Amino acid sequence: MVGYIIRRLLYMIPMMAVISMVTFIIIQLPPGDFLTAMTARLASQSESIDPGVLAGLRERYGLDQPWVVQYWKWISGIVLRGDFGQSFDWNKPVSELIWGRLNLTMVVSVTTLIFVWAVAFPIGIYSAVRQYSVGDYFATFLGFLGLAIPNFLLALVLMFVSAQYFGQSVGGLFSPDYINAAWSWGKFADLMSHMWIPIIVLGTGSTAALIRIMRANLLDELNKPYVDMARARGLGEIRLLLKYPVRVALNPFISTVGWVLPHLVSGAVVVSIVLSLPTTGPLLLSALFAQDMYLAGSFILLMSMLTLIGTLISDLLLAWLDPRIRNG
Amino acid sequence: MQNFGVLRRQVVSAVAIAMLASTWAGAAFGFQEAPQLKALVDAGSLPPVEERLPTNPLVLTPLESVGSYGGTWRTATFGGGDSEIERTIGYSRLVRWNFEWTEVIPDIAESVEVNADATEYVFTLRAGTRWSDGEPFTADDLVFWNENVLRNTEITPSPPAWLMAGGEPVKVEDLGDNKVAFKFAAPNGLFLMNMATVRGADILAGAPAHYLRQFHKEFNPDGIEALVKAAGATDWVQLFNNKVGFPGRWRDLGRPTLDPWVMSSPYSGTTQVVGERNPYYPKVDTEGNQLPYIDRITIDVMEDTQAIILKAISGDIDMQNRFIETTDARPVIVQNREKGGYDLFIARPAWSNALLITLNQTHKNPALRAVFSNKDFRIGLSHAINREELNQLIYAGQAKPYQAAPREGTALYDEQMATQYLEYNVDLANEYLDKAGIAERDAEGFRLGSDGKRITFAIDALTGSPIQVDALEMIQRYWRAVGIDMQPRPAERSLIFARLQTNDNDGLGWVGGGGYDFLGLLDPKWYFPHEQESSFATAWGLYYQNPNDPNAEEPSPAAKKQMDLYRQVQEAPTVEAALALMKELLAITRDEFYIIGTNLEPDRVGIVKTNMHNVPDVIPSTSFYMMPGPAKPETFYYAQ
Repeated sequence: MVGYIIRRLLYMIPMMAVISMVTFIIIQLPPGDFLTAMTARLASQSESIDPGVLAGLRERYGLDQPWVVQYWKWISGIVLRGDFGQSFDWNKPVSELIWGRLNLTMVVSVTTLIFVWAVAFPIGIYSAVRQYSVGDYFATFLGFLGLAIPNFLLALVLMFVSAQYFGQSVGGLFSPDYINAAWSWGKFADLMSHMWIPIIVLGTGSTAALIRIMRANLLDELNKPYVDMARARGLGEIRLLLKYPVRVALNPFISTVGWVLPHLVSGAVVVSIVLSLPTTGPLLLSALFAQDMYLAGSFILLMSMLTLIGTLISDLLLAWLDPRIRNG
Repeated sequence: MQNFGVLRRQVVSAVAIAMLASTWAGAAFGFQEAPQLKALVDAGSLPPVEERLPTNPLVLTPLESVGSYGGTWRTATFGGGDSEIERTIGYSRLVRWNFEWTEVIPDIAESVEVNADATEYVFTLRAGTRWSDGEPFTADDLVFWNENVLRNTEITPSPPAWLMAGGEPVKVEDLGDNKVAFKFAAPNGLFLMNMATVRGADILAGAPAHYLRQFHKEFNPDGIEALVKAAGATDWVQLFNNKVGFPGRWRDLGRPTLDPWVMSSPYSGTTQVVGERNPYYPKVDTEGNQLPYIDRITIDVMEDTQAIILKAISGDIDMQNRFIETTDARPVIVQNREKGGYDLFIARPAWSNALLITLNQTHKNPALRAVFSNKDFRIGLSHAINREELNQLIYAGQAKPYQAAPREGTALYDEQMATQYLEYNVDLANEYLDKAGIAERDAEGFRLGSDGKRITFAIDALTGSPIQVDALEMIQRYWRAVGIDMQPRPAERSLIFARLQTNDNDGLGWVGGGGYDFLGLLDPKWYFPHEQESSFATAWGLYYQNPNDPNAEEPSPAAKKQMDLYRQVQEAPTVEAALALMKELLAITRDEFYIIGTNLEPDRVGIVKTNMHNVPDVIPSTSFYMMPGPAKPETFYYAQ
């Protein structure tokens, strides 16, 4: 087992090298560079930048060099010094920008994940056990509704409702008074009072999907002989359900844990933008728009790495969960 | 409140701006200050107000009435490098625009004198002016900026053009007695006007020598490395630039300023920027009350304009126009006046046209170049546009048919230029197009170019401006009716600009600039080929900036004449002389008819809390004006 893990970790190194290069090339593909994007942004606000200043900046940022040189500058910094480079747009070290936003992103994503699982598991199990009952139809209906409504629209509607009927401040995760305040119970309560919108918005779509997957998987298992046998041996219905078929039905969730990790970082860009959440999503998008290549590149690199690590984790979890995989 | 008729152009010579508000009427009564500062003085942690103010402070006359202290001004901005923070908190310079936008007036400097050939500007500083940390602001600070920031080739490898003349950056000399001379190697007539725009903030940002020396390698050779490391910067130059450049300087809480509010929460790019009253702000009102009236300003940084609009209608914004003034947001803004507790003011766009259409006369395809550079072709297309219908359907009847020309009432206004070829007349349009030598048509009725192929081209427009894309789709129909195949092409703006840089653009749909005199003088890109953004002749614009650019091309004689004229404009010692030359330049623009205009940009509305006072009814809106900076936000106040 240890050998297997080490082997997997070693495979990741060339994989990461390839990913980093592809990432960089893709970011460089659109015509123009960071300074073109900056000029364009200023022009759309009817401002203009001095051509002399522009030439100076191009030299300073090294944008006049071929992409291979720029790539080497970036990747060698990461490998040799753990330095992800500087963001042009922010004039700040990339790492500072990313880590600064990661905390709140994690809070939002993990809370949403817990919400989704807490809602979807019981409903999914119920729907499977009571197939074609009124409750099943109702849950299915709600699920599809959640899946069908575009997240950004739901975000706008909920934001409007909270502003119109609850008198809440719009956007972000905090009221204006608490944005810069130190952590306190008041700030925590304020965070919680704002959290429900992103949680519901982000949660609805995945809840529906999870309910359906859980239901289908469990239905497959429920009619299998081992369930009948367990029941024949006199196991209580709930204990039986949770101990055998549900455990097997969990397989798909575990194998998608790998996708959860990158999702925690990049998750729900559009919703974060609409709700003005201070999370990583909007930062990545604006970095791509501004062609702020070191920032965008580092983001994508980080996400790829998290995907690789996540896949490894889900493989290990699967092995633990399902003896058939372990022995295979 | 003030009648907006005053916004007529009464342009006064920049030389005459000296000594406007020099004597202070309330001297006999002493100065007053905000209660919170008074408490600090009483507690002994702040010097008395007389010692914090210049001996002869600038007196601002409030628009309606002398105000009272207190309150928070809440606004919102868009993440990234947006200039809202510079416009609201940061509009302090040596000289600034007056509210009417008709002249440059003293701000931090007491007065300025210009010599006859506009090579030397002598500023008189107010004795006793202090930075927000209490240190004196003197001529030394300006000399420091000049010698160690602007003329330091590491920090500023290529100085901005407005601070250069004759190929040399400006030289600042301390003349003693609080006088400093800005000397240019050649005439630089637009210097003061440029300083009043967004550009001018850089001088004072680079001036607090007592603070900046520690970040400068020459002054702190031993300690600089540790500072660079602590800040996570790549080198000291980057660290220094982050202290003085935009937007980095708004992330530095320690920075001394001369602004009405001092930042207490940095512009980190997320959440919120907060400014607290500057206890050393060197201006008073007519009764000797130290400004600003408002205690704090908060700027929420949002990611989405819809969220800003929602904030506005739920009453969470006190005074603002940007991001909520778009035509499509107007109905909800107007409807929710009562609920949000705000009134409206007019934010008059400074640009000349809601949508102008350029056709690249320096196109790489010879057939398209031939038609685009044919004036009859452009006249024909202009006559083919039903502007009144556009106005009704797109701008709710708020606009009016207009060419790409200065606004009515300005010194540069030219009636013929604004109204030529506006008439909607399909027959006339066809006549002109036939005259342009493209009478031959294909089976579908489209006109054929000199290469025998159908004339077909794309007009780029911003995906972020759906209204312009809608208008272009209507124009597509109008032009199809006269046999021209135009395709609107919504694109991301940096893609559009990448095309401009390499002269790969067919045409562009954009808002027109140059509506007001100073905007036309400082940013003439729609009036002659001035830079790559002059997309009616991109390669000529590149030539003007740099004749050696690989995509540059030698301009037409008319455009060359304009370029010469603009060089003279830049050297003109007075505003009158500059405007006279500009008129000459515009006459050529009119005759050449480079750009097809559609409608004058309609007035926009901003919101102001019902209990907020001294906010004008009409404010020009553009970044060149630094809206709302010249409207004196330091005199805004809340009725108790």
